[in-house]
Amino acid sequence: MRNYQSQPEQGVGEPRVKDPSEERGRITVNEGKPRPLFFTGKRPKRDRHSRHKVSFFHFRNYEPAFKYFTEQVLDADFVPTPTPTRATIKRGEEMSADYVCTPFKHIIGDYAAALDQGADTLVQVTGFCRLNYYGELQEMILRDAGYDNFQMLNFSDVATGKVRDYVAYCKKVVNPNLSIPNGVKNLLGAYRMVEHIDAFRDRYLANAGFEVEHGSFDRVRKEFISAMNAATCNADIEDGFRRAMDALDALPTRKPVDPVRVAIVGEYYTAQDPNSNLDLEQKLLDMGVEVANYMSISNFNLHYNAKAMQASIAEYSSYDMGPTSTFNIAYAKRAAEQGVDGIVHIKSAGCTPEIDVMPVLQRLSRDYHVPVLFLTFDTQTSDAGLDTRLEAFYDMIAMRKVR
Amino acid sequence: MSLDFGRRADLADVRRVGIPRALLYYRYGIAWRTFFEQLGCEVVLDAPSDRGTLEVGDHLSVDECCLASKLFLGHVAALVEQNVDAVFVPSLMGYGRFDTFCTKFQALPDLAANAFAVAGQSVRIISLRIDELRGETEESAYLGLAARFGLSHKEAKRAYKAAAAAQRDYDASMAREQEKLVKNLSKLPAQERPLTILIAAHPYVSHDPFVGGVVEDALREQGACVLFADETDKPRSLKRSYEFSHSIPWIVNRELIGSILALHDHIDGIVLMSAYPCGPDSMCDDAIERCIKGKPILTLTVDAQAGTAGVETRVESFVDILSYQKKGGYLNA
Repeated sequence: MRNYQSQPEQGVGEPRVKDPSEERGRITVNEGKPRPLFFTGKRPKRDRHSRHKVSFFHFRNYEPAFKYFTEQVLDADFVPTPTPTRATIKRGEEMSADYVCTPFKHIIGDYAAALDQGADTLVQVTGFCRLNYYGELQEMILRDAGYDNFQMLNFSDVATGKVRDYVAYCKKVVNPNLSIPNGVKNLLGAYRMVEHIDAFRDRYLANAGFEVEHGSFDRVRKEFISAMNAATCNADIEDGFRRAMDALDALPTRKPVDPVRVAIVGEYYTAQDPNSNLDLEQKLLDMGVEVANYMSISNFNLHYNAKAMQASIAEYSSYDMGPTSTFNIAYAKRAAEQGVDGIVHIKSAGCTPEIDVMPVLQRLSRDYHVPVLFLTFDTQTSDAGLDTRLEAFYDMIAMRKVR
Repeated sequence: MSLDFGRRADLADVRRVGIPRALLYYRYGIAWRTFFEQLGCEVVLDAPSDRGTLEVGDHLSVDECCLASKLFLGHVAALVEQNVDAVFVPSLMGYGRFDTFCTKFQALPDLAANAFAVAGQSVRIISLRIDELRGETEESAYLGLAARFGLSHKEAKRAYKAAAAAQRDYDASMAREQEKLVKNLSKLPAQERPLTILIAAHPYVSHDPFVGGVVEDALREQGACVLFADETDKPRSLKRSYEFSHSIPWIVNRELIGSILALHDHIDGIVLMSAYPCGPDSMCDDAIERCIKGKPILTLTVDAQAGTAGVETRVESFVDILSYQKKGGYLNA
């Protein structure tokens, strides 16, 4: 039979007898910089960061994506634009020509505020219609107004429209040491972030009108935006988005089976930006409406099939009528086919392409028996006037629904 | 781009084609007329704009439309009353990234069709689309339209060439005449030289008798010599405009700015005229006022309500100021 008892000579668990010199503490100091234990073959990473202070303009709640783009793709400092106030808008209005489109006035007001905050590089995008000329004219106006210590990253300056030239331009203006592999990786992250911000907005607009606890949806939205603002890598973005969506779905709602549904279409900037449209979405939500706002970067820039859209509205327009015209007509038609109770069409004052869309929407409204509310926003538009019109519109569509 | 030659000619029954005397008629009218005459159609033009045209057009349009677009719909309505078979309304997008037209011209055919449909009237529209950035060139657009009239490829090409040449010749003759005028003016001694004023406006504003005609008449009445910024060598003006700006996207505004730069030394003052609310002008006029220095600029905006009322007074006072200035100030008058 075996004996499992430990033998005394093994000394298990007994402390080793230490050398007397080891018992005392030792202090060592070596001159010079820390170095790895042995040579790894890697040189330390070079500092690619640019010290330019880049600022965008205010556009809906895309600021986290702009921040991510600046910090992770351009690898420069980001200066957040202060939240626009009456004073910012008034400033922009004074600096611009009278009947230039309203987004121009909002953006130049933002720029002036950003320059006051210490930004030295302003970003302007390119696109359709008057937007192509925004950057150059705004730079001219700001310089005339006495700001001279800044540069523009104006994508209209890239005449060819090729990706390679855009990259070269960013390198030239903001960061000559831009890392291309890192930039591409993080650009995809910024792309995902935009998609997430839009997906969150869509879910929010669909349900926030029926919240049980007042302000609960807004709280989750703020948490989501701050999580996006804090993101520094692609995993942060995915994680923050998933948590925010779960939190949004977990909120209790009191949604009727057949709620009043309103679709929003309109001019790119004004239809999305709450500062420009006097927070129209929230006003509708407060009335207990399910809102769908189709205009977003995802829908219009990232996942847009121009040919299919044009084909879907062949009976209303034979050619593409302008920058966002086909998009708006097609989505208004889709909404009408899905049986929304009303459509709100938003534009800024003097927006030529959207004015041209109006007769088409009038015809659509007649064909599908859907009421369409046309709203024009200027820097002067009053809150009270908008409330009255929205309430009247809501009463009308709610009554039609009961009948 | 595939052309429609050999297919069913769906426009073969169109014999009387109406061309509205508005908007880009003032730029491409000669080409359009020649083209349809070459196709064997009878071309019908309506009368020049007047107050009645505006009233009809205003009634058909959304309130916020620009004055020129309201006039356009008025002209289409006038053509419909003249029993034309179809009205020609092209959709013009542009010739390059910074050589585009205002989006209004892109939307025109659909705008007209929908505006008339909303008003409960019907109008048959024939159209073509020029969008060189996406591969729809001017030539292929005209050939495609000719094919729908049942023409062969060869006949179509001949018609297009004749149209393009006619327009080119006309533009060149206008430019030559103005150049001659400028040359003669510069030969005169400084005391005898009349006040020279440049009208810089879209052609459908400056040459429309209802809109720009009033200004031109008022200037001539004051004894000024009138030059037009759109009657110069267009390709050269377009090239010149890149000295001024690299990102103005509108070809017409570019040509106007190029002409202003070219004629700057020969003129005493500039009249910038626009139809309220003109999108391109809202930005370009601002840029011109900021950057064109050394010449007095009068900015006139004509809208659908007030029309040209008060324009004469403003033009008179502008000319007065300039002539006093020319004589060396008020004291020497």
